[in-house]
Amino acid sequence: MKSRREFLRDMGMGAAMFPFVNNLPSLLVPPFSQRKQRLVIIFSPDGVIPNTFWPDTEGADFAFKESLSPLEEFKKRTLVLKGVSDRVRGDGDNHMRGIGCLLTGTELFPGNVQGGSDTPAGWSSGISIDQEIANYLQKTAATRTRFSSLEFGVMVPERADTWTRLSYAGPNKPISPIDDPYQMFNKLYGQLKDQESLKSVLDDLKDDLAKVRAQVGTQDRQFLDEHTSLVREMEQEILAARTTNVGHAVPVIEPGVRRNNDNIPKISKLQIDLMVSSFVADATRVATLQYTNSVGQARMTWLGIKEGQHDLSHEPDTNLDAQAKLTKINKWYCEQLAYLAKRLSETKEPDGNGTLLDNTLIVWTNELGKGNSHTLEDIPFVLVGGGLDFKMGRSMRFNHVPHNRLLMALAHGFGHRIERFGNADFCGAGVLTGLS
Amino acid sequence: MKYMRRSIPVLGICSAFALAGFSLPQAKKPQPASPIDGATVFKARCASCHGEKGQGGGGYAKPLVGSLSAKELANFIGKSMPPGPKKCPAPDAEAVAQYMFDAFYSPLAQERIRPPRVALARLTVKQYRNCLADLIGNYHPAKMGGASGGLQATYYKARNFDQKTKVVDRIDPVIKFDFGNAGPVPDQYDPYNFSILWQGSIEAPDSGEYEFVVQSDNAVRLFVNGPQPIIDAFVRSGNEKEFHAAIKLIGGRTYPFRLEFSKATQGVEDPKRQKEKPPGHANVTLLWRRPKESLEVVPSRYLHKEYSPTSYVIGTPFPPDDRSMGYERGSAVSKEWEDSTTAAAVETANYVATHLQELARTQDTDKDYREKLSSFCRQFAGRAFRKPLTAEEEQLYVRKQFDSSPNVETAVKRSVILTLLSPRFLYREVGTGKRDGYRTAADLSFALWDSIPDQQLLDAAASGQLDTPEKVAQQATRMSDDPRAWSKLRDFLLTWLKVDDVPEVVKSQKLYPEFSVSTVTDLRTSLELYLESTAGSDASDYREMMTSGRVFLNSDLGSIYGYSIPQGAGFQPVEMDNGQRVGLITQPYLLARFGYLETSSPIHRGVLIVRNLLGKTLNPPPSAFAPDPPSLHPNLTTRERVTLQTKPEMCNNCHGLINPIGFTLENFDAIGKYRVRENGKSIDHSGYYRTKSGNLVKFAGPADLAKYIAESPEAQSAFIEKLFLHEVKQPMLAYGSGTLPKLEQSFGQSRYSIRKLMADIATLTATKDMQ
Repeated sequence: MKSRREFLRDMGMGAAMFPFVNNLPSLLVPPFSQRKQRLVIIFSPDGVIPNTFWPDTEGADFAFKESLSPLEEFKKRTLVLKGVSDRVRGDGDNHMRGIGCLLTGTELFPGNVQGGSDTPAGWSSGISIDQEIANYLQKTAATRTRFSSLEFGVMVPERADTWTRLSYAGPNKPISPIDDPYQMFNKLYGQLKDQESLKSVLDDLKDDLAKVRAQVGTQDRQFLDEHTSLVREMEQEILAARTTNVGHAVPVIEPGVRRNNDNIPKISKLQIDLMVSSFVADATRVATLQYTNSVGQARMTWLGIKEGQHDLSHEPDTNLDAQAKLTKINKWYCEQLAYLAKRLSETKEPDGNGTLLDNTLIVWTNELGKGNSHTLEDIPFVLVGGGLDFKMGRSMRFNHVPHNRLLMALAHGFGHRIERFGNADFCGAGVLTGLS
Repeated sequence: MKYMRRSIPVLGICSAFALAGFSLPQAKKPQPASPIDGATVFKARCASCHGEKGQGGGGYAKPLVGSLSAKELANFIGKSMPPGPKKCPAPDAEAVAQYMFDAFYSPLAQERIRPPRVALARLTVKQYRNCLADLIGNYHPAKMGGASGGLQATYYKARNFDQKTKVVDRIDPVIKFDFGNAGPVPDQYDPYNFSILWQGSIEAPDSGEYEFVVQSDNAVRLFVNGPQPIIDAFVRSGNEKEFHAAIKLIGGRTYPFRLEFSKATQGVEDPKRQKEKPPGHANVTLLWRRPKESLEVVPSRYLHKEYSPTSYVIGTPFPPDDRSMGYERGSAVSKEWEDSTTAAAVETANYVATHLQELARTQDTDKDYREKLSSFCRQFAGRAFRKPLTAEEEQLYVRKQFDSSPNVETAVKRSVILTLLSPRFLYREVGTGKRDGYRTAADLSFALWDSIPDQQLLDAAASGQLDTPEKVAQQATRMSDDPRAWSKLRDFLLTWLKVDDVPEVVKSQKLYPEFSVSTVTDLRTSLELYLESTAGSDASDYREMMTSGRVFLNSDLGSIYGYSIPQGAGFQPVEMDNGQRVGLITQPYLLARFGYLETSSPIHRGVLIVRNLLGKTLNPPPSAFAPDPPSLHPNLTTRERVTLQTKPEMCNNCHGLINPIGFTLENFDAIGKYRVRENGKSIDHSGYYRTKSGNLVKFAGPADLAKYIAESPEAQSAFIEKLFLHEVKQPMLAYGSGTLPKLEQSFGQSRYSIRKLMADIATLTATKDMQ
């Protein structure tokens, strides 16, 4: 149960408005200007078509295949990691473990959710790496932000189960992504809008208070005078807060985009735009963006594809039509990644420290390596941006390395030097090397 | 040290009560610094110009009021009064200043001599929450009341509530099932694959935070007052078997309820795979923790099978209201209150914005969307202000907001925020204007419901149906049958009996090992059922409440208090015709609550009765006393020990009044169980009381005392006065000195119906100044 003060603070009210104000873009450059670092994890489902996804060669001299072709512009800032495997086993089918262990690196609890094969399972038994890093950043004043993380979604089904949850705040603590851009907008800017509305009515309120005061007996006027001066005080606080807010432009977003399959491209764009705005405002430094869910069934009609993605992903390799469509589908996801990279690269850091992309690492991943085999080998990990001092512009190949080691590398990139993450059995060889 | 642990910390340690003749704070008698009498000096030398009471006169028109101290005032008088060369000598100035200061000059004196009046008051927090619930509820009308007794249950022989797989519909009084490894009826269900849906509504008896707990090994999902589950454990994971969620509810209302249960795996349906495995355990129990109570299975009397619409419950916390007069009143504003009303206005504006199309019954595709929204805002403000907007108000609260906002949604938000911050909403009817139907409607609804008028009342006001006391009385009668009126009355009774400010009823586990935390919750339930069956009945007879031989017991309480109640039968009324227990004062909850860890407390019991039931004023003692522990006088009874300790003259003023009342209940021990002996001695339950009119009444035990409280006009008047204050939150004398006699008369005429009294109080105050 929240205390009154906490509640008012969350509402952005009264004297307790300041913690909120402090999290708006700071006009003060911190004295020891360590650069901001950000992490974005993008999830798309159902595996990839290896032939059209993985570059044929290692090293800096590599060529993108069709699925990754939208990244051409950012080739020098891209790192493709092949040979990283999700080796966590235990309860649940591969789609469930694929998403539930992807960022947690640990087993699912036994439970009652039955997959297409294997034993039933519940939620993940550990925290996910995005939350681990977010918690780490919140511990220090210099890296603390208004939201420790933001979970964006695009058409995530309205049911909470192992297939629809990517991030975990802890064991049995799945986090629901927000897949309604307007809900996300309210989360980010609702308080500011509320302050504006409030401010706009206070003059009218004072006028009417004066009228009412004239109507009551003299003995009761003191009461209304006290009330009026409290309203004035409130007004001063709002004004004070507004002065501090200068420079923060609330984005204007396209209204009335309804939540349905055919609007996926529009929703995706709105969510990416909001994510970029939240970074400008330094509202958070950790974000996830989840397209549909594990076993996702997006029907990409805008690409001329009528079938659901998951159905297509089960087609054998010999179905060339399906292969071509799945390539198109993954290329579309890659275009979203490229759009985010582009927006970040075009946006200057408010503190003058380069562009947002210079300080952001985007990780694009998937619950499976390949859809029709349901393999957890060669999980796609495509990294873009300069957030973590990794040496970009390369295609790297590993041999069956547990993905826990990559998750640890992400934490280390933020200076959070954990020695294990998730199931310790997969962390023995330490953090994944060769990235920097 | 163990006696330092008391169940009632503050009152109990008093043993020297000072008795005051009347309840208004008395002026401290000025200590004469000299033999000169200030009053005489003032009368002789000042009154001709300043008036007899310093109110102003021919020579000097302004009243003599101000903020100087008595000394400063004396100084001023000595230097400047009277006009002319010869000034008032210092001793005279001091005496007259002290007299003026105490009699009328100081702010305190002004407060004291001010005649009782209906003062401006803001809404209390309770009223505020009710108003908002009813304001929003006007648009999706809340249904209240209805028969309780359980939830609508539907059983399915498949995992997901599919109508085609329905096996049976029935009413389940409580949700507490253990099906073992089988189905609810073994041959009708697969043991691994069935589901149950419980639906209906749940009643919140008190306002506050309710913690819901669902215990189950299976998939469960709980919905209370909204379309989002407050507990979602449909995915089972790991070893969690108990799920908690807290939700705020307003007392006296019902809320939509739904509990989903499934014994089956979720996700991909594969019965073949399930059959291969042993079926496992199936169980589900629904519990709650009411505000300040212990965990219990949600009793059937709060479960209704009928659906109820969602209610709007403000989440913003508020600072508590002033309760210094024994009832909550909106007598001051503060920074905290301002912050809270602002946050609550914004919270509500956001709620309205989110539910706009359903509240305003329109779609954003409608041609007249804007028109419909502005009409919604006009109605919203009208309901909030308890009367239709004037043209001027409509311009300010609606039109101006629509004209100046970038879009209609923002306009609605601004209008709602402005409305909810307006003094026209936040204050009880303001203005010195004449009484009209709307004012009468609001007076009635706040008196009876602590909320805004309903549509029927507003319609009556609009059509001039509230212009005579008879018509007003008709509405009051209708309104007193509404569950909101019972909720307010119940709230009064619990406040009057000091049930709500109880810290914790704790008893010695050595002496009363059977008395547990759940006993306290059961006892409170028992008291509530008693109040419902007496004050809450159709007759609502005050005398019955004071003398009924009924006690409500379940099997657990039965075994503690010595009655046999079948296990699982729930609470049963037990009629005690042996005269051992008579009326409210012998209800076990009150006896236990007004008792110590190990022994009874005649003082606590006596104080409750003398103050709250008989209406005498007892001032707190000048200093705190710890009661003598029983071990100090192992051979004495409680009565003897208390008598011994309060023997000194200084104690006797009050204890001479308190003890003989408390002693009549000595047949009941620390937990309120009947006894005839204590420490090997027979209980002496004799007592007496000297009435306000000076008569001595003698009692031989609780029955005599109960009968006296039931029939004594003094006790009845005390009850009327306390109910009046709780209901109206203004001094009774502000409604004229004839108010009490009128109510006393009508109370008798109605055969002492408490509910009728409540309606009569509302009618009387809502017709004040009626032409």
